[in-house]
Amino acid sequence: MEWHLLGLSFITVFLAEIGDKSQLAAIALGGSSKSPLAVFLGAVTALLLASFLGVIAGGEMAAFLPARVLKAIAAIGFALIAVRLLWPQEDLPEDSE
Amino acid sequence: MKSPAFVTNTAPEVKPAPKEQTEWLESVSRMEPATSVLAIPQQQKQPGKLKQPGAWSVFSSTFLTIFLAEMGDKTQLATLLMSAESQSPWVVFAGASAALIATSLLGVLLGRWLARCLSPKTLEISAATLLLFISVLLLWDVVNI
Repeated sequence: MEWHLLGLSFITVFLAEIGDKSQLAAIALGGSSKSPLAVFLGAVTALLLASFLGVIAGGEMAAFLPARVLKAIAAIGFALIAVRLLWPQEDLPEDSE
Repeated sequence: MKSPAFVTNTAPEVKPAPKEQTEWLESVSRMEPATSVLAIPQQQKQPGKLKQPGAWSVFSSTFLTIFLAEMGDKTQLATLLMSAESQSPWVVFAGASAALIATSLLGVLLGRWLARCLSPKTLEISAATLLLFISVLLLWDVVNI
């Protein structure tokens, strides 16, 4: 069990998710609903499913591409996410998601 | 308050005139055993309050909203990239799942705390505004991809 990878994933996703649209939706829906438990379970199911699809897609990519290419793509991808977070006002010329 | 004139008081003990409509019905049915009118206390209907949706519809609408908001979101992207470049994608999934459960729990708890602080009207307006803001953000994402 790779504990540092587990910890890193936890922290990365936690920080990415705080203040994210889906958490704002959880706040709004959870506060205004009579059954916050249903909201919590619906949110968790949705997020776990989306995460699962991401892991499957990532696994598929890993099967096709060599390790160095994957790490390069991941590095560029994270840099783009960081830039987009730090400069929200600027219109980036190309938004490659 | 006087009892209605047509109610004949044949009971040995005189009951005081009831104030509530339900008690009046009960007293009438007690005096006339043939009456099948049951004194079911009327549920005080709160004026202007819509029927609350059931738990399942809340679950499914929350699920759909958040699932659609999350597809292509940076959180999902981060999970994808991390699981692609790590040799153990399921460890990444475990860490991501724990983080997502934690942030959802924080979100719902924060929502409940706000619900206790704000009046119901303010809460509804704030929740609606927040959800509209989210939909604007999503449309912005759609335009920018």
